[in-house]
Amino acid sequence: MRRGWGALAFAAALTMTATPLTAQEKTGNKPGFTLAPGTVTIVLMRPEIAVGAQSTGGAYEPNADWTDQARENLGKALAEAQGRLGNRVITHVEPVGQGAAVAHEYRALFTALADSVQTYQFFPGNRLPTKKRDDSFLWSIGSEVASLPGVQGADYALFVTTEDHYGSTGRKLLQVFAAGVAGIGVSSGVHKGYAGLIDLKTGDLVWLNADLAMGGDVRTPEGAAKRVAQLLEGFPGKPVEAPVTSVATKTAAR
Amino acid sequence: MAGWMIAAALAGAALGADASDRLAPLPPYGTAYTPTTVDERGLWQQADEAERDLRDSPAVIRDAALNAYIGKVLCRSVGEDRCRGVRVYVVRAPYFNAFMAPNGMMIVWTGALLRLRDEAELASVLGHEFGHFEMRHGLKTFRRGRTIGDIIAWTSVISPYSTLPVSLIQLHFSYSRAQETEADLMGLRYLTAAGYRPLAASRIWERLMAEEDATALGRKRRVTHHYSAGFFADHPTELARATYLRETAGADGERGDEARDAFLTAMRPWRATFLADQIKRNDFGGSEYLLGELATGHWTSDLLLTRGELYRERGNPRDLVSAAQFYQQAIDAGCTDPIAWRGLGPSLLRGQQAAAGRAALKTYLEKAPAASDRAAMAMLIGEGGVQ
Repeated sequence: MRRGWGALAFAAALTMTATPLTAQEKTGNKPGFTLAPGTVTIVLMRPEIAVGAQSTGGAYEPNADWTDQARENLGKALAEAQGRLGNRVITHVEPVGQGAAVAHEYRALFTALADSVQTYQFFPGNRLPTKKRDDSFLWSIGSEVASLPGVQGADYALFVTTEDHYGSTGRKLLQVFAAGVAGIGVSSGVHKGYAGLIDLKTGDLVWLNADLAMGGDVRTPEGAAKRVAQLLEGFPGKPVEAPVTSVATKTAAR
Repeated sequence: MAGWMIAAALAGAALGADASDRLAPLPPYGTAYTPTTVDERGLWQQADEAERDLRDSPAVIRDAALNAYIGKVLCRSVGEDRCRGVRVYVVRAPYFNAFMAPNGMMIVWTGALLRLRDEAELASVLGHEFGHFEMRHGLKTFRRGRTIGDIIAWTSVISPYSTLPVSLIQLHFSYSRAQETEADLMGLRYLTAAGYRPLAASRIWERLMAEEDATALGRKRRVTHHYSAGFFADHPTELARATYLRETAGADGERGDEARDAFLTAMRPWRATFLADQIKRNDFGGSEYLLGELATGHWTSDLLLTRGELYRERGNPRDLVSAAQFYQQAIDAGCTDPIAWRGLGPSLLRGQQAAAGRAALKTYLEKAPAASDRAAMAMLIGEGGVQ
């Protein structure tokens, strides 16, 4: 009996993921930031897209076809959505040579920044006390981002990241079996994404929208359109935006 | 007891016994290989994205001559048709390591280039990594890990107190070690086929063990070298690798090229950079050992300069006396780098030789008038600090 504890713990760690039942979607705005539609130029950086399957044991299985489809569909959906953002959106042209290293570093830096916002401010688990206050959405990537090759002529940079692990048949079977027979909760599928806006003059993060349970099947054009609509929810200054839902704009709960 | 049998049965069925000793003739190699299965294509795309990042990284050394040399050694080692599908990236990291990604991206750390002695040893490292690529070890490890994860997931629900997961995890790591051994032997085969000296492969590991001993001595610790690796070890131990590579090299192990001069000529422009990275690691014993190996009895000015920097860094009172000696020897051997006088000055000053120390720093300020630490060094010799 006692011999199995270690194995049980290890196996449990492999199969169960802790998904918070509340607060899986959050938007942050820099205090006092407004964006009048039709006034600025936004440069869209290359989205980070990863689509694959989730094995029975919870491991990520990359799928090249799905990722290519998603990249194509999301690209088209983002292009269509730009009209509804109320501002001019241009696509970032990847620099070659020396500038490419800087562009790569800024992409990695933005990912680190967005992860920090989600871990330390948005979602319960490890939030910093100073970041739980109402006006505490103060994050920056540094003002030198203005010298990044390819962003000259734009006022803001839009970064988009989305990650999908579609649960395999075995995973779904395990989920049903575990719930029915053993009474253990097993999650199936991971659909995370976030989008953020950086002010290129100051490097400040003026808006970030993160969602740990996104909808829309990015492998299809309709699903990609739905995904983009969710990613850009709460985008500042959208001209035809209906009042955003209370989930998106509520301040951090104590 | 029962768990073992179940593990063996499931492992045999699910994973396939693929760890056969592949010393048979290599299959013909197609240059333009594109993966066809879902798993392999997914892994290649992941590796492509990683390569996209690496390509732009400031940590990669892009010097044309160095990359051309390493490419030449790879092509001689594995053959022209095989080496065309591989891209080698030299990354600036002061540790001995090299990697292979499933899509043909090979990474070699500069610490490896510093520790290798000749072209044969470089060829054995590159051949080992290419062996991983040719045998698709990345794909096999991915599949094996997935299958084991699946079995463990079902086991934890059906039979939570089973020890089957432990057996499977042990299987995973022992397969990983077997793959490393397979790659080692493939590298040795390439080495021999290309006309290099086979014993070069085992010598790398012998020197790495000696370096580990030197590091431990410097930190007042003990090192024991084992034949068998630990539960979570994904590589065989250095002692095991040195032993089986030496045995497999056989009686003809000494016959073949080592091309030491060609290797040293290619590395010479980079040696100072790699050494400067090495001595920043706070590893006195290991760095001393490496410097001694590089010198092989003939201490050149750049090695003496580095040795002086190393001793000055540790900074015990006797070390500063030694450091001053090494700097002076470097200067006498023809060193023109102002760093030598910058190191000599403070070492002498701390050793109560004020006049000689001040003279050395004065020479440094003359040789490097635009140095960033000019004000601090001037202050040390009483010439006024901040401008």
